[in-house]
Amino acid sequence: MAPSRRAGRSRLTLALLIFTSLAVLTLDFRDAGVVEGARRIAATVFSPLRGVARTVSDPFSNGWHGIADYGDLEAENDRLRERLDELEGERVLEADATQQLADLLGQLNIEWLLDIPREQARVISGPVSNFAHTIEIDKGSSAGIEEGMPVVNGAGLVGRVVLVTPNSSTVQLITDPDFAVGVRLVPDGVTGTARGNGRGENLIVDTPLGAEDVVEEGVELTTSGEDRSNYPASIPVATVRRTEQGSGGLTLDLIAEPKVDPDRLIFVQILLRKGAG
Amino acid sequence: MTPVGPLVLATRVSFLLVVGLTIQVGIGPEVHVLGVQGDLMLLIAIGGGLAAGPDRGAAVGFASGLGYDLLLQTPFGLSALTYALVAFLVGSLQDSVLRAAWWIPVATAAAGSAVGVILYGVLGTVVGMDFVGVSLPKVALVVGTLNAIAAAPTIRAVRWATGTQDSVRARSVYR
Repeated sequence: MAPSRRAGRSRLTLALLIFTSLAVLTLDFRDAGVVEGARRIAATVFSPLRGVARTVSDPFSNGWHGIADYGDLEAENDRLRERLDELEGERVLEADATQQLADLLGQLNIEWLLDIPREQARVISGPVSNFAHTIEIDKGSSAGIEEGMPVVNGAGLVGRVVLVTPNSSTVQLITDPDFAVGVRLVPDGVTGTARGNGRGENLIVDTPLGAEDVVEEGVELTTSGEDRSNYPASIPVATVRRTEQGSGGLTLDLIAEPKVDPDRLIFVQILLRKGAG
Repeated sequence: MTPVGPLVLATRVSFLLVVGLTIQVGIGPEVHVLGVQGDLMLLIAIGGGLAAGPDRGAAVGFASGLGYDLLLQTPFGLSALTYALVAFLVGSLQDSVLRAAWWIPVATAAAGSAVGVILYGVLGTVVGMDFVGVSLPKVALVVGTLNAIAAAPTIRAVRWATGTQDSVRARSVYR
């Protein structure tokens, strides 16, 4: 084929592919069901394949991490033992307080976090690209999971379910810049909105507090559970690390470290809260 | 050698993409340097450009990106657009300048991967993606390095899938 004709054909091919890409991007932005359906099918098909790949790679991965991180693991183990002892003492006091709170909320007919049924799931994959803020878990609609349900672990809020297949789900992490959750400062009761700020970064919390207000480092944030919120109240979210003036200089933004480390998740719990989506 | 028919070609490329996606989503998250993982699907797109030229390469890149998009919650079609453009660019360069030295495809894979990451960042920003907390130059550098390491076997696999392993183009590009 003559070079000029071949170049012309190449450009035509490229133009067609660009046009098709823009068309599917448009479909996605218009929330066309076909895109969501295609993603669901792909997730269903790849879920077992992903499991197989993980099973094959796990021994090598564990071996590598065991060799590379041995020193860190020993130090972390010591810290965790010490922390475990502290927590054991606090547990008894908290169990008593928790029971009293549950009784009071029950009398007032208010939803209590620990009464919500949960489904335990294993994380089968971390973010699958450098720009993704989602993880995959090994439970899906067959376990009663629905889109929008909150996902937690022992430390606090992990994220929310955004895609469900029969045997797996995709969870949007709390660090996703598109993630937002209503929070309450403990014990002040001031509410705000916490937003993700990227992997490994702290959350940014918009508050109605004035720029001259003071919020101490270490203040805890929990979900506010306000009306129509997807999240029940009292799930630990983050700890305030510092404050910044909000845009315009009139309000106070909080920079808060998430309770959960999304890079170290092994098991999570899905709160089976109907109508969360 | 007998040319590969379109049905065989489609089957081989589909097989390659399924294997690539399985490795990317199953093993990719476990293999990372400085918190950044390699991008096998982008490498397959670049391999398509190197092995099969700009037009077929762009088609392989598009399919590779679209398959990846199906498993991500990022804008659907963004990877397809980016990878098609990168594969076309690599294919065009290869048509005009690349020659037979062994290191050229490896260097092309590294440079093409870095360009692909930056292009993804630019196009993603245009369509409203938020890249806060992401250092694109760092991601580009690490993806380029990891993809260069995986370049040789991946390009061989793409050459097999596109039926170009014994063609003059393939011999001149990758031995």
